[in-house]
Amino acid sequence: MEWWKSLFRKRALDAQLDSELRFHIEELTEANVAAGLTPEEARRKAVLEFGGREQIKEELRDVHRVSIVESTLANLKSAFRLIRKSPSFSITVIVTLALGIGANSAVFSAIDAILLRPLPFPNGDQLMELRQYNPKTSSPRTRLAPVRLEDWNRMNSTFQAITGYYTEDNSETSGILPEKVTVAYVASRFLQVWGIAPALGRDFTSEEEHFGGPSAVLISDRLWRRRFNADPNALGRKLRVNGHSSSIVGIMPVSFLFPDRDVDLWSSVPVDEPIAQSREWTWYLGIGRLKTGVTLEQARANLATVQKQLGIAFPKTDADLNVQIEPLKEMTIGGVRRSLWILYGSVSLLLLIACTNIVALLLARAAQRQHEISVRFSLGGSRTAIVTQLLTEVFVLAVAGAALGLLVANAASKVFPALARDLPRVEEIRLDWRIVLYSLVCSVLATLVCGLFPAIRGTRRDVSSSLTQASRTQVSTRNPLQWLLVGVQVALAVTLLAGAGLLLRSFQELGRVSPGFDPRQVLTFHISGSYAETANWKGLTQRIDRIVDSLGSLPGVETAATDATLPGVPSHFQIELKFAEGQQDPERKIVAESRFVSPGYFATMRIPILSGELCREMADSTKSINVLVNRSFANTYLTESTVLGRHLQEVPASGILSPGEIRGVVGDAREEGLNREPGPTVYWCTGASGPDPFYLVRTRTEPMAMAETIRQRIHEIEPARSVFNIAPLTEHLDEAFAENRLRTVLLAFFAATAVSLACLGLYGTLSYSVNVRRREVGLRLALGALQGQIVKQFLLQGLGVSFLGCLAGSVLVAAFARVLSGMLYGVSPTDVTTLLGVVVLVLTVAAVASLFPAVRAARVEPMQVLREE
Amino acid sequence: MTVQKSDLLQGTLDLLILKTVALGPVHGYGISQRIQQVSREALQVQQGSLYPALHRLEKRGWLQATWGESESGRQAKYYRLSAKGRKQLQIEESEWNRLSEAIGLVLRTAE
Repeated sequence: MEWWKSLFRKRALDAQLDSELRFHIEELTEANVAAGLTPEEARRKAVLEFGGREQIKEELRDVHRVSIVESTLANLKSAFRLIRKSPSFSITVIVTLALGIGANSAVFSAIDAILLRPLPFPNGDQLMELRQYNPKTSSPRTRLAPVRLEDWNRMNSTFQAITGYYTEDNSETSGILPEKVTVAYVASRFLQVWGIAPALGRDFTSEEEHFGGPSAVLISDRLWRRRFNADPNALGRKLRVNGHSSSIVGIMPVSFLFPDRDVDLWSSVPVDEPIAQSREWTWYLGIGRLKTGVTLEQARANLATVQKQLGIAFPKTDADLNVQIEPLKEMTIGGVRRSLWILYGSVSLLLLIACTNIVALLLARAAQRQHEISVRFSLGGSRTAIVTQLLTEVFVLAVAGAALGLLVANAASKVFPALARDLPRVEEIRLDWRIVLYSLVCSVLATLVCGLFPAIRGTRRDVSSSLTQASRTQVSTRNPLQWLLVGVQVALAVTLLAGAGLLLRSFQELGRVSPGFDPRQVLTFHISGSYAETANWKGLTQRIDRIVDSLGSLPGVETAATDATLPGVPSHFQIELKFAEGQQDPERKIVAESRFVSPGYFATMRIPILSGELCREMADSTKSINVLVNRSFANTYLTESTVLGRHLQEVPASGILSPGEIRGVVGDAREEGLNREPGPTVYWCTGASGPDPFYLVRTRTEPMAMAETIRQRIHEIEPARSVFNIAPLTEHLDEAFAENRLRTVLLAFFAATAVSLACLGLYGTLSYSVNVRRREVGLRLALGALQGQIVKQFLLQGLGVSFLGCLAGSVLVAAFARVLSGMLYGVSPTDVTTLLGVVVLVLTVAAVASLFPAVRAARVEPMQVLREE
Repeated sequence: MTVQKSDLLQGTLDLLILKTVALGPVHGYGISQRIQQVSREALQVQQGSLYPALHRLEKRGWLQATWGESESGRQAKYYRLSAKGRKQLQIEESEWNRLSEAIGLVLRTAE
């Protein structure tokens, strides 16, 4: 851009030079003609007289060229000279900016990778997630029936293609030991929707997508390297998953991590498979690719029409269903958006504090450089030139800071994945030219923010002449502006610290909460299973019961149980219920969390039974089932006397669960997340909620010590199954709050940096003030002032400004605390205790920062200072 | 006598140009003609010195240039003295007078 402009300017300049010189020659020619020469003679003489035209033009170009290049070079040269001359000042500025810009760039790199960039697929913004839902119930069943998915794909006019998938953890048994693999079962058109081809091999053929056709799988790059050592001959080899042999037809690119980074295999589900024909059996998550130019609104309207038509064709199953379409990116990012922007806001505040700090430093320096600046004025320098010169100095510092900051950002971008493994798209965070460019923009902005004001103020002529006069004889300088800047820094630091304080308090409160269950000494794991087993619930139930019994009898194990979801890890499965007997108030819906647990769950988690008795596992949960309810459910929907023996029924009936008989009431537990009050909950007593529930084992000693024993026992009774994801329950609970923790740790770190910077600013400004007022202090000491009085005076000055900063900060906190609401637990956004704590902390640190310069002031030797005069 | 870069101090040519332009807007050709006439053919300014000097003075802000039509009907670049240039002319004029007086004084007393 710049070179293009300068080229353009050069052309225009050349044309002007040419016509100016041409005019001269023409006038000469005319004069010669008037003197009596022939036109040719006249012109020849004129050209001769004029002399080397090209040479003159070159010289003229020089006149114009020299100034820009030379002044820039001169500015840079003098900037470097100044930096060398005052290394401590320069290092302070560079390090401050490196921290500010580095932290900012690091958070920006996360925002860029997670929020701003499209998903890493061709035209990723065309990818949508599709679900079905029934607006009349609060049922969470949003997966799609395979036949409905095919109908949508055939009847719509806004999608290029729609496909679906579900994942399952399975065992691969072609090796010596069963190996756990995560399999994504996919509908037709899967790769077409992604717009991705296998790195090696091919997509599924249409025979492979039909029932009875050859069985084929695509494998991940990870599995290819792990199992086949990246051997291209792996194509055509067979894998045995879930007792079913399939050939490998393709290997996916390393960057293809969908549905998640753990997927090992993609296996196609035939459209015409007999069990896939029911409109009520739902298992797919739908993914579609919009046609080019189609908007989300158009797609929603189009599929709503399609579903309405299906509702007419299949009134029983489809009339009540609606279609939900969301951009896949939004679904992937989920809730981290707000966290990331809050972090970005706080690092930007940090950068602002850093800049304010530098403004104060530059102002102090401008005062010292008054003499130099007035000399340059008197030498004929224009104000613009001097301001440019001063800005160049700051810019050189800012670029050095940004370069150093990139190193900080690079280190930080490696911290993100370590702090929060489950952050979506975390593997896409990296340092590239966009981040480098961003840092450069930051440094230009920082230059303007930091440099412009001190430069303009420092080059005011009246100030430059008057101050040079005054500095020799003045008794004290008041520099209200610098103190204002210190106040601003303190206020911003208080704001950040209060935010961090609130998050920390929430964490503390969470740790103090009594969850209603005991997560200590509980080991959790999975044992591979397949949905195909659900065709025979009775067999599945027996198999899982046998495993649980066998685990419970292991030495070192107190009790064992299964649960569909882990207690304390946030999850939601709210369904609507009704009582099978008696009149129902239609106005009063019964909505409760549903958990599917084996009877041993309550003993394992130490959840007390308050009344009634423990439930029993029925041989076939589709025929009869026991339920327990928690106290909250009983209090909300029933009275104590009428609880036991009543039957609960799903609305609408799914046919999977029979009406459950309430056998007892248990204590409330925070199973849907430690930060949530326990709500009405129904426990359906079946260990076989699915083929692969969580197994929970309460151990007598350290839980991980039992891992090997458990693995061996399972290998004895179920040699074809693999045991995986073995971890203590407490670790899962920690992980559930990883994002929360990332937010808290980073904000606390930024706040600590902010407070240090603000105190550095306070220290610097007070030291400067002490330096300027040395004579005054010396004089007063000579006249009998006590050292204590001097200390007190400076200390109070520093503390006074900090106090005002704290007040202003408190106002900011009150104004912005709402940003954090919803992220806090057990503490209000305007918690007075936290704010008081923050203010006391800041004032204490400010007192320490003020004490050093104040004591230095009191140690001034009166005689020495007066002699300097 | 021909005014060339080496012959006279740079400042002298600048002074001659400023003085000439002070009489009214004029183009480069006009300036060289005028200096020649006014000095009664004693001073001849070379184009190779004149134009770089003009552009330097313009860059410094002492001259202002506009494009206009000449008496002969051609497009020409006209130079005019700016307020800054007028001040500069005064300074340089008095400097020159002081200098030439001083030189004259030296020459006279040295006899």
